[in-house]
Amino acid sequence: MSFDWKSYTPVIIPDIPNLHEIDVYTNNGGYESLKKVLSNDWDPEKVINEVKAANIRGRGGAGFNAGLKWSFMPKPDGGPRYLACNGDESEPGTFKDRKIFEYNPHLFIEGALIAAYAMQCSAIYVYIRGEYYSWIKMMEKALKDAYDKGFIGKNILGSGFDVEFHVTGGAGAYICGEETSMLESLEGKRGYPRVKPPFPAQKGLWGRPTTINNIETLSCVPLVIKNGADWFTGIGAETHPGPVLYGISGHVNRPGVYELPTGMPILTLIEEVAGGMRNGKKLKGIIPGGSSTPILRGDALEGVNMDADSLREAGSMMGTAGMIVMDEDTDMVEMLWRISHFYHHESCGQCTPCREGTGWLEKILLKIRNGDGEIRDLELLIDLCSQMEGRTICALADAAAWPVRYTIDRFRDEFEARCKKSTYALA
Amino acid sequence: MPEIFIDGERYEFEGKPKLLQFILDNGKEVPFFCYHPEMSAPANCRQCYVKVGTPVQNRETGEYELDENGERVIRWFPKMQTSCSMEMTDGMVVHTQETSEEVARAQKDTMELILINHPLDCPICDQAGECPLQIQTYKYGPEGSRFEVKKVHKPKRVELGPRVTLDAERCINCTRCVRFTEEISGTHQLTISSRGDKNYPITAPGMEFDDPYSLNTVDICPVGALTSTDFRFKARVWEMNQTPSIDITGGKGTNVDLWTRDNLVLRLTPRYNKNVNTHWMPDEARQAYRKFNENRISRPSIKADGDNQIKTSWNNAIETFAEKLESVKPADVMVLGSAHASVEENYSLMKLFSTWGVNDFHFSPDVKDGFGDNFLLTDDQAPNTNGVKALGFNEISTDDLKTAIKSAKVIVLLNDELVDRGVLGSEDLEKPFVISLATNETETSKSTDLVIPITCIAEHAASYVNVEGRIQRSLPAKETKYTHRKMDLEMSEGRLDRYGTNFDNWVNEDNKIDCTPTWELMNNLAKRLGLSVQFGSSREIMDEIASSVSTFEGVSFERMDDENGIQLTGITKEEVSA
Ligand SMILES: Cc1cc2nc3c(=O)[nH]c(=O)nc-3n(C[C@H](O)[C@H](O)[C@H](O)COP(=O)(O)O)c2cc1C
Ligand code: SF4
Ligand code: SF4
Ligand code: SF4
Ligand code: FES
Repeated sequence: MSFDWKSYTPVIIPDIPNLHEIDVYTNNGGYESLKKVLSNDWDPEKVINEVKAANIRGRGGAGFNAGLKWSFMPKPDGGPRYLACNGDESEPGTFKDRKIFEYNPHLFIEGALIAAYAMQCSAIYVYIRGEYYSWIKMMEKALKDAYDKGFIGKNILGSGFDVEFHVTGGAGAYICGEETSMLESLEGKRGYPRVKPPFPAQKGLWGRPTTINNIETLSCVPLVIKNGADWFTGIGAETHPGPVLYGISGHVNRPGVYELPTGMPILTLIEEVAGGMRNGKKLKGIIPGGSSTPILRGDALEGVNMDADSLREAGSMMGTAGMIVMDEDTDMVEMLWRISHFYHHESCGQCTPCREGTGWLEKILLKIRNGDGEIRDLELLIDLCSQMEGRTICALADAAAWPVRYTIDRFRDEFEARCKKSTYALA
Repeated sequence: MPEIFIDGERYEFEGKPKLLQFILDNGKEVPFFCYHPEMSAPANCRQCYVKVGTPVQNRETGEYELDENGERVIRWFPKMQTSCSMEMTDGMVVHTQETSEEVARAQKDTMELILINHPLDCPICDQAGECPLQIQTYKYGPEGSRFEVKKVHKPKRVELGPRVTLDAERCINCTRCVRFTEEISGTHQLTISSRGDKNYPITAPGMEFDDPYSLNTVDICPVGALTSTDFRFKARVWEMNQTPSIDITGGKGTNVDLWTRDNLVLRLTPRYNKNVNTHWMPDEARQAYRKFNENRISRPSIKADGDNQIKTSWNNAIETFAEKLESVKPADVMVLGSAHASVEENYSLMKLFSTWGVNDFHFSPDVKDGFGDNFLLTDDQAPNTNGVKALGFNEISTDDLKTAIKSAKVIVLLNDELVDRGVLGSEDLEKPFVISLATNETETSKSTDLVIPITCIAEHAASYVNVEGRIQRSLPAKETKYTHRKMDLEMSEGRLDRYGTNFDNWVNEDNKIDCTPTWELMNNLAKRLGLSVQFGSSREIMDEIASSVSTFEGVSFERMDDENGIQLTGITKEEVSA
């Protein structure tokens, strides 16, 4: 990559002191994009088309074009319509939305307002994980300020557009980040993901048309409106463009959230951006986008970039761009057991393959970790993954199965070394 | 008409049926647990997987695209689909476990996962024998187990409320019970607590599951997780005989099954009737089984000295009955029918006494205002108010009844607990000679001079007309001293009846009541009185009623059986609630 990442100037979390304060934000061009779309020459359709053209691929994990998603909303029928903003951020290795909450909440608020205008929503909900207590409080403050300035509420900036904006805190369940589970939770119910169809655009919050977007996805929107779709698509990877927040954690010298274009070479991110491996150790593997994305071996990262296409080719996914870096001392069996423990603990328990499968996976891995495993247990684990993948209501079962399937596949020697020879074959 | 191809067979359909229900309705099978036709489909058990495809259509012409063999090109859904939640569309192609290895495999996979943490304690589980998990495991489950780690442990013997006990380890988290309280009874008393494999249903802290319909959750629980506290450990399913019947604790005419063993009714469960109660039944109605077993009057009794009743012979009872009648004029005899007795009983009583010369027939309605809930509980506390009325018995108010009693010399009282339900005081019955035809020993029967035991609904075939004017009938479920399961063709047979021998004859003579159907009693009385009244079986009595009482025109046991009860014309709901 010829791109000089050091010359990149952040736009989502720019280096401006106290940007979380509304006056600082407006003094630096904040809410101008909102004013722009609410002025006469932008109708909702035009906003959707611009955002669609920018190809903002959802930063919540699935990487779906945001503008395209918005266009799935049915025509307004006079009844309420909602935008639900996903700030549940609970996938291990993911900690980038909190940066926005902390450093640039108004950018997100502005993006959500533009999205609500584009889809003609009557209310916006932002669902923030309960552990982010201080950021929930900050968000409440930021919303109050925006209300006071007339950016939210009735007849916004004299445009005739009305929208309400509410904050809800989660209660510690990872599953409430799954979009339909989040809707249930917003409705005050137990966070059980819904069966689709109907999709949220048809029947979402309280049975009304609803779109769900990630915080970072929405934060890109004012930038697209301000600078144009072409500006956005000109940044980073061609098929997966734009600035993105890389959350780098693990055995590197400078773990943290870095805003850079998409498509960054993984090795550049590790070696240069994050300051290289801790204690000069060798790189063993990385999990590119949150704990559910398939692990990649450290010796297979040459030429692999952080964008959907490149990662698919390498056998993984972009996910949330929360990259977990592991050095040569990492015990892959221990690591996988720990990840499986997480998914076992977080399965909502609604559907059989996930409820039972996540527990079984963890228990077998624990057995292997404790030195009581047998080679045939590895076959059983892979079999179980096949019994879970694609057979459940939501993608948590896949998220639990993929790490198991790919870690065993890519570090098989390490697992076999921990197992005893099987005394009898797998039934 | 839209068409669908299931396992290569073509079916036509109308509307937008869900695939699983359509498959079941057409006599085919796909295993399932969480689906219930009366409730929403959460598609959470993932057992009902099928493979589904739709024909590829030309976008412009709408015509089906054909392959080189002239067959429609099918676009298969990339993943298998849960048939319970799958909406059918025209031209859809479906493979069930019968024609797809992949589907059979997926079903087996789900079954394996359902079973890993299941205690599999069938030998001590009440559900065994009627357990969808057990049955479907035999049919679709894996052989053996690959689960070699520790099962999850959860609370056992949890008293959710006064009537339902939970074994959380057996729960497969289908949420049927929770949905029942949300969607059917509306009490919202149950929810699932905790997450993942620690899930189980429970009430909010400090709350009781005292929903008046709570026991329905026991019926719909597809495993032995929810059990009836009352019935727990009392009998194995295969030891009991199951006989269709009608609830007699209220006016709704809820269809039920009586479960008997050793001539005791051990439990009542709801029986599906889409026009009456669908799948449900109130908890209170389930208690009726006690009345069929306990405090039954066996052999007639007569008041000897003072208030003491002593047992007497049938001959003496009939003789006394007849002598008392012959000692007075018909106008001095008051005949009270009963909304708690069947159409045939009331009819035989009326026919005998009108032949003998009585003109007025009355009954005392048993209605509790405000008791009804617009669901299965009704203000009417009796099962046959409409029936007894349609026969020509007149409603009599409490005051009129008390006055009328004063001038009567002999009172004939068909099964109705007038004293117990506060209509009369026992002192009201002191002066006249009171003959009661009764099933149970009650304050009422104790206040009368001659008590003649009659069969209860569990022992006879007879009809009852519910508040909506629907006539439905019972079948004999338990033997009396004078009936025999193998002789009476209306009686259900259980495994032991069919396969047992004389040496392991399981019928306990102790529990056979010495009683007779009212119409047989009337026959004996007619013979003694020299009246030309003679009844055959209750089936024949109904035929006679059908040809002589206009409301019952066209009614017969056959039709009631074929049509699951008959809506009578000429009786409207309003007439009753007055
Ligand atoms: C188990 C599970 C957990 C998820 N958690 C989150 C989350 O914490 N935050 C998030 O933005 N998306 C999460 N998602 C993805 C959302 O379902 C959804 O795709 C996303 O919010 C859509 O927004 P986007 O299109 O802007 O990415 C999760 C998905 C699953 C299956
Ligand atoms: S896949 Fe897991 S988390 Fe998702 S609905 Fe099913 S049980 Fe719940
Ligand atoms: S619920 Fe069914 S399978 Fe489970 S122990 Fe009881 S009878 Fe056996
Ligand atoms: S107790 Fe029974 S009905 Fe309730 S969720 Fe468990 S298995 Fe289903
Ligand atoms: S019946 Fe449970 S998923 Fe269909």
